[in-house]
Amino acid sequence: MAASTRPRTYSQARDTFSTNRELGWWVFMRVSGLFLVFLVGAHVFFNNILVDAGTIDYAYVAERLAKPWVKIFDSFLLGFALLHGVNGLRYSIEDYFRRPSTRFWLKTALFVVAGALFVVGVMTLWAFSFEEMGDAIRNLTPPQ
Amino acid sequence: MYRGREGQWAYYLHRVSGVALALYLLLHIFDISLVMFGPDGPFNAFLFFYHQWPFRIGLVLIMAAVVYHALNGLRIILMDFTSWGVRYQRFMWYAVLVLVTAIGIPVLVKVVPEIFGGA
Repeated sequence: MAASTRPRTYSQARDTFSTNRELGWWVFMRVSGLFLVFLVGAHVFFNNILVDAGTIDYAYVAERLAKPWVKIFDSFLLGFALLHGVNGLRYSIEDYFRRPSTRFWLKTALFVVAGALFVVGVMTLWAFSFEEMGDAIRNLTPPQ
Repeated sequence: MYRGREGQWAYYLHRVSGVALALYLLLHIFDISLVMFGPDGPFNAFLFFYHQWPFRIGLVLIMAAVVYHALNGLRIILMDFTSWGVRYQRFMWYAVLVLVTAIGIPVLVKVVPEIFGGA
């Protein structure tokens, strides 16, 4: 889809997209975007404004990931942000690269990298006990 | 398209900030995932490398991209799903710029001394 034919209303979008799947992604970008305003806004506020980002270290992240509500919040963040971001990159690839083989390989590489990072992200959030790791780091550096 | 007026700049900035945020997201998932290697793993060395001031300024630009992309995204949603959104899209874009500035200034006041005041 060229940028010049980008639809501006929901009814235009229904006429523009040849498949329900593309219409679905168009709606998804708006719905997930609305969620991400709050998810990313809170994430940046708590980790970049309330704390000095220059002081963030292993102990800070391990302590955060030991909290169940952080795991749940960050899981929604990971899922929505990755789908929204990767679909946006896909739009960009389709807008700026003409050759079918270039488009295919760029998109394949993007989906492979994004899929791998999704697995890595879910593992980071759910596969480790950061309660124990938080204790381990505290025992390594006892309070002075 | 859009005859070079505000809408074209809104679209262009949305595209550039979006691509930047998506690429940052991929890097960010990778660097945070290094906590899986534990307290003695590569996490701290990797993160402390990014605590150097050029990367901190990059992080400020990423925050600016977040605020612009979020607010202009809300403008797009209003344009797409309300009957009056397209009529007021130019006004809303200037409102987005005013809000980005209004949010950006206190953030800069807070973050810039942290970048250059620390060790």
